[in-house]
Amino acid sequence: NRKGKGSNKGRSYDRSRRDRQRGSQSGGFGGPGPRSRLEDTDADVTMSDSSQDNSSQHRLKYDKKWLLPALQNICSVPFTAVQVRFCANRVHFYVDESSVATALHKCTHKITDTDGYKVIFYIESSCCLLFLSQQCMAKRFDGSQQALDLNNIRTDPDLVSQNIEVVLNRKTNMEAVMKIIEENIPELTGLNLSNNRIHKLDELTNLVTKAPNLKTLNLSHNELKSDRELEKVKGLKLVELWLNRNPLCDLFKDQASYISAVRQKFPRLLKLDGHDLPAPIGFDVETPTIIPPCKGSCFGSDEIKVLILQFLTQYYSIYDSGDRQPLLDAYHDGASLSLTTPYSTQNPSRSSLGEYHKDTRNLKRIKDSTVRFRLLKHTRLNVVAFLNELPKTQHDIASFNVDVNTFTNTLLSFTVSGVFKEVAVDGKSRESTMAFSRVFVTVPAGNSGLCIVNDQLFIRMATTEEIRRAFVAPAPTPSSSPVPTLTAPQQEMLTAFSQKSGMNLEWSQKCLLDNEWDFNKAAQVFTQLKTDGKIPEVAFTK
Amino acid sequence: TSVTVDFRTHVDQSCRYSEEFVNIYYDCMDKKRRNLTRLYLDKATLVWNGNAVSGQDALNEFFESLPSSEFQLQTLDCQPVHEQATQGQTTLLVVTGGTVKFEGNKQRFFNQNFLLTLQTEVQLI
Repeated sequence: NRKGKGSNKGRSYDRSRRDRQRGSQSGGFGGPGPRSRLEDTDADVTMSDSSQDNSSQHRLKYDKKWLLPALQNICSVPFTAVQVRFCANRVHFYVDESSVATALHKCTHKITDTDGYKVIFYIESSCCLLFLSQQCMAKRFDGSQQALDLNNIRTDPDLVSQNIEVVLNRKTNMEAVMKIIEENIPELTGLNLSNNRIHKLDELTNLVTKAPNLKTLNLSHNELKSDRELEKVKGLKLVELWLNRNPLCDLFKDQASYISAVRQKFPRLLKLDGHDLPAPIGFDVETPTIIPPCKGSCFGSDEIKVLILQFLTQYYSIYDSGDRQPLLDAYHDGASLSLTTPYSTQNPSRSSLGEYHKDTRNLKRIKDSTVRFRLLKHTRLNVVAFLNELPKTQHDIASFNVDVNTFTNTLLSFTVSGVFKEVAVDGKSRESTMAFSRVFVTVPAGNSGLCIVNDQLFIRMATTEEIRRAFVAPAPTPSSSPVPTLTAPQQEMLTAFSQKSGMNLEWSQKCLLDNEWDFNKAAQVFTQLKTDGKIPEVAFTK
Repeated sequence: TSVTVDFRTHVDQSCRYSEEFVNIYYDCMDKKRRNLTRLYLDKATLVWNGNAVSGQDALNEFFESLPSSEFQLQTLDCQPVHEQATQGQTTLLVVTGGTVKFEGNKQRFFNQNFLLTLQTEVQLI
């Protein structure tokens, strides 16, 4: 039980003021006036038993019959209790004049109940009066912004002058404020609770549903000890949050982990403690789902770009020439090279990658250290001898993408990716297009060139998309349909897919292409998109 | 006098280090994203699909902004980097490939490579 030793000041409201306010839209509040439904919840005076016994038996003791007359006797001010409420060992009764509340408060310890215990009065401010104190509200509620400023409300002169105490770190006070918001300004978008010694956010939980538009919340300069408190309000779709000057801020080892912990709870947050955060990415979901867009080559600087492009042009003109022996000049004596292809259960002899599969060095699949060692080509003689055995190629240099990994005085490492064709040497018409990703680690060479010390080559089959975009220079034979030519099995798949899905050929093909010509996968994706309503009508027009 | 490790031993060790590294890296990437930047040196640069990100702060933000991931590593290769490039600092080139599913996106193939400098712990240049 709290024994308010006079620190709680009751607040009742001035009935006359209430009348003035009823039904009016103006009166200091911009925008739609708050609805006045506060007749019931006025000042309340709580009595409590000094014995600290919470048993329900006490309820019986506080019989109106003896209490109110007893009070009337000693209270300096005549009063009528608007409402009396019994709960546990307390009695709440409501009076409508602050002067009455104060007078009643003075009666504390002056009445003895039937058991001989002193009756203690204390007054809980229910903040509805805060609301009704026009002066205070007018200056603290901005109707045009739908923002309520309760910063350091305890010391507000308008309230203090009326003996109204609003102490927001008290559960009942905070609950009352929340109730006011819910019932009267539910469209609230901004709430400032700073400097109120708040240490818990339990009472704010309902804001999530009752004030769903709340976007800005200021909790700075309070007593919040852990970011876990924020869990209680994490349903709020906050865009701006202030938490500085709370003990919880000191718990984070750096700014980044602080921001990240806060953002986990409020993914839409754009501003924290007054600082802009980089825009969050994502839709109306808790976690981000957008990945950064794919950009082109990343050289780091123009000099490096020129250096690398020059190197690559030279390198690949030799590589594609049919004799790779001259590449010896490109490699360091102690150079290393290894090749990796994707794991495939397919019979290597039937795969276009067959020639590459037999030398693939994949540490996930090869565990024997001798084999691992053997597959690493070491010294430039071995490297170039190996390269010379690989099939003849034709690279599409225009398709190359280059990313510089790192460079120092002694090292320049970059990754090249692109596509190449395997040139049919013996009249066989099968021409495969492959894609590769190659890491070169180089050291500076004499004549402002590069010398390769490490070379790692990854080769896989090219995707349909890559094939379509590659080797653009020779113009394809003009045709009425904008789609590239398909193989027979692809044609079959396309017809079947179009039939089953109901989409036209163009859209069916797009769907199949996007799913790597995997019929079942494409069908799944299609069904999901259709259920989500994401497929436009035009896809079905034949 | 410095101890020269013979090339074979060097290669063997590199393989083991790289296997351990990728386990840690992709475990962090998928399950403990916030720990990932600890694997990067402060001056490290990440180039991700052409987007260059450098410095711990930027790396932190970048990894936070990536959707949650499920990486399936299918290929792994590793080479010790020639000392001429690294001025004697033991460095490994690690190359990975496989598939990745980012939340909200369809599964894709990926290729990734790292330059690791062995200090007291494995770090990333």
